[in-house]
Amino acid sequence: MKPIFKQPGQLLGILVLGLALVMPWTQSNAAHDIRGITGGTTPGTAAFNLYAFPFNMNLPDGSSLYMWGFGDMDNGDNATHGNVYGLPQYPAPTLIVNQGDVVTINLTNTGVPQAVGIVVAGHQLSASGGVAGLVTNVSRDKNALGGVPETVTYTFTAAEPGTYIYHSLNGPNPGLHAEMGLQGAFIVRPAGYDATTNRIAYEEAETDYDQEFLYLLTEVDPDIHFQMERGHYAHSTNADRLAKIWFVNGRVFPDLFQGDFNTLYPHQPYQSLALANPGDRVLVREVNVGHDSHPFHHHGENLTFIGRDGRPLSSDGVTANLGRSDNTLNSAPKQAVDMIWTWTGKNLNWDIYGPISTTCTDADNNMEEDGNPLVVCNDPNCNDAVNNRTLAAGPDGFDDDNYQYCPDHGKVLDDLVTLPGVQDMTLGGWWSGSPFLGDTGDLPPGEGGLNPFGGYFLVWHSHAEKELTTFDIFPGGSLSAVVVLPPYIAIN
Amino acid sequence: MNNHIKRALPSAVALALLGGVGASNATVFVQCPGDNDGDAAWDSPGETQPPGVKCKSLIAGDSFVNMSDSNPLYIFGFGEQTGTLPVDLIGDGILDAEWPGPTIELEQGDEFYLSLTNVGTVIRPDLFDPHTVHFHGFPNAASVFDGVPEVSISINMGATLTYYYNIVEPGTYMYHCHVEASEHMEMGMLANLYVHPKQDFDGCLSGLCIKSNRARVIDGEVVDPAAPEGYVYNDNDGTTAWDVEVPLQVSSFDSKFHDASYFVQPLPFALLKTTYPMINGRGYPDTINPNALPAPTDNTTPVPGFPEGTESLEGKMTGNPGEILNNGTPTQLLDSVVTVTQGETLLLRLSNLDVGRFFTLTAHGLTMKIVGTGARQMRGVDGKNLYREVASVNFGGGESHDVLIDTTDVAPGTYFLYAAELHQMSNLSQLDGGMITEIVVN
Repeated sequence: MKPIFKQPGQLLGILVLGLALVMPWTQSNAAHDIRGITGGTTPGTAAFNLYAFPFNMNLPDGSSLYMWGFGDMDNGDNATHGNVYGLPQYPAPTLIVNQGDVVTINLTNTGVPQAVGIVVAGHQLSASGGVAGLVTNVSRDKNALGGVPETVTYTFTAAEPGTYIYHSLNGPNPGLHAEMGLQGAFIVRPAGYDATTNRIAYEEAETDYDQEFLYLLTEVDPDIHFQMERGHYAHSTNADRLAKIWFVNGRVFPDLFQGDFNTLYPHQPYQSLALANPGDRVLVREVNVGHDSHPFHHHGENLTFIGRDGRPLSSDGVTANLGRSDNTLNSAPKQAVDMIWTWTGKNLNWDIYGPISTTCTDADNNMEEDGNPLVVCNDPNCNDAVNNRTLAAGPDGFDDDNYQYCPDHGKVLDDLVTLPGVQDMTLGGWWSGSPFLGDTGDLPPGEGGLNPFGGYFLVWHSHAEKELTTFDIFPGGSLSAVVVLPPYIAIN
Repeated sequence: MNNHIKRALPSAVALALLGGVGASNATVFVQCPGDNDGDAAWDSPGETQPPGVKCKSLIAGDSFVNMSDSNPLYIFGFGEQTGTLPVDLIGDGILDAEWPGPTIELEQGDEFYLSLTNVGTVIRPDLFDPHTVHFHGFPNAASVFDGVPEVSISINMGATLTYYYNIVEPGTYMYHCHVEASEHMEMGMLANLYVHPKQDFDGCLSGLCIKSNRARVIDGEVVDPAAPEGYVYNDNDGTTAWDVEVPLQVSSFDSKFHDASYFVQPLPFALLKTTYPMINGRGYPDTINPNALPAPTDNTTPVPGFPEGTESLEGKMTGNPGEILNNGTPTQLLDSVVTVTQGETLLLRLSNLDVGRFFTLTAHGLTMKIVGTGARQMRGVDGKNLYREVASVNFGGGESHDVLIDTTDVAPGTYFLYAAELHQMSNLSQLDGGMITEIVVN
């Protein structure tokens, strides 16, 4: 069999599309970290300057939605990935600090017509400045104060690592502020964490990971937003609330596949398309900041739960040993769950890289032909001398370099079943045209084209399928995905 | 209102499908090793079933069902056609969608060839929807057989897609169509799917448990009174042993949604409401009817759920009250009868495929031990069992729970398993219905 060549003419398109659609490509390290802002470089402290302001947010049907959001007043000075960005955003900036940091959040309301404050789940905040509100001090709209901004300062210690939620909780209708968008994620890195050498979610064993993604679930009732836009602040009651749009990281399908800080979505900076290479341990920090429960389902593999609400699932403080496995998270409002997802393609009983080639060379054993970028080279070798997870000597079934599952190596899918012709099938936009990882196939004009690397897209979505809609339009809503990319595609 | 008499003319419709869709290559092509005539069964001379191979031939199409208050609803669904020759598959499959779809029961180690033939929706000839099977929870799924149309392939009318699954993980899964998931799943393309563990045949390698009786029967051996009927997982300690197993899948229909589909109206996704909560496609008391329900019949209007202001005494579907639908083919085949003898351990394979809401199942007087979730044993990374004994199970769409009920100390009698959201015990406005079944302990 000949190796699986892609058309050279497609290569440029592949790269261009890849830049725009699949890969953020902004960093040089080979792993994905959650985008957000840190509290500066002073050890032991983290300081944030946030403001609150109304904005209008895009939806894929071309409409927009009136929101209230937090923004980074420092314009991204301490952004994790260097993004210069200071717009009010949905969700709020993801705040990332280190365990033990004394955290300071200065909040100034520069335009939200109600006084806003900040609470952080699992933490006691002391507040100064502003005026007393429902549960803490709040900042009033500066426009109601003659243009003089009012700043509230919150301080607390981030004592325990994990994933938390912060949001505004104030006003005559306490649920309104989160509904309007004043909410986000707060992440505490554990002691000993290092972004390159010790990627861990907690200090406990089995919480280490390769890729890290945020899945922040929310939903909105547009009617409430229409009322707020008109200034009818009393015209929303909780009894009337019926969510009609469902979000992951503040975007809906298909916008949520686009890269972080894509300028098409000026107020929705965070993508939710997750990326992984085979064998990667993918940490999913899944937080529900909405008012409703969502059964959130992950295709491809089960996840192992390792933490909840900023506490590791551990009986002994040594290993995260109390986590069960599931493919669907019963995600309750204001609940944060940390989970590890790993996909290897093990035991499919056919070779995910297609037929073996004896004519290509792959000296670095990364499934890519030497000297030919993005050409799959499935050579006859499967090198399995060590355990990929523990690095102990002895085989674990997986190739040591590319995580190929050796017992399935060389098993030919065509020997099992024949796929229908393209005229008998409807082809999805993210279908590569080939069943093989890293491969693309011939597609009819106008079909496919959104999966130039031949990745395996596996959808991660609400399994209350009514939530896969945007204001009654399918597909939309909280329909996201992970894409498993061949090992030679670096993930950033 | 101008009601249409919709009698299926299978041959004519099949012809239309094959000749009129413009897909001149559309082919019924059922693939199954050892089967020579394309019926996914080894029932002809010269055909032998290869060891460990399972095949199934399903159609995806439409039909009618009756809710337990006799309200007829239009559905999409899967139908069993294993054993049907390709030449008959579309004709036989039309108007034969089952609610829920055929249960799939597999053994760990099976190679499973699942052929899905799209017979179209004859009641909605304006539609030309493709369909898929999504094997929900399948480990290490490759996108080609994951059944998600946006990121993969789906099968057009008049053609067949054969899915290949190597079955390596026991547990309670489910399957459903993923095409236009909000619509096709609400319309009824849902079903039970579960996998028995290898431990049933091997016993515990630790020596703590013995070969199960269901494996002994399969192997043609004498049953052992000391052995359980089966195990849920390869637990290696015998803690997931069971004597009676029943798959119970909860879901619901919104009659307004189904009527909107039938009458070719915009579909209310955001306003979707649970009006007919069901277990295995029936509301109580049909849940405890051990037989297939009779073929659905049309009903006079107003019936519950009929669009307001359009009530008449004509039949909703055909204009003729009492007219038999589906050409007389029953489409609600699955019951939810649970019968156990005191002392036995009952396994409930609970799954939820509702598209709109969570449900909580409870059973007064009975303790439920959850031993598995999401088709995996509840066991931590260091080997500790994380089982939980509970009085209720709350779960949303896509969640499954393996629940054991030990009846050793349970007095004989009838126990109700029902939605703890007590208003879900109704068939629309008819009370004492909906999400209820009975657990009979003898």
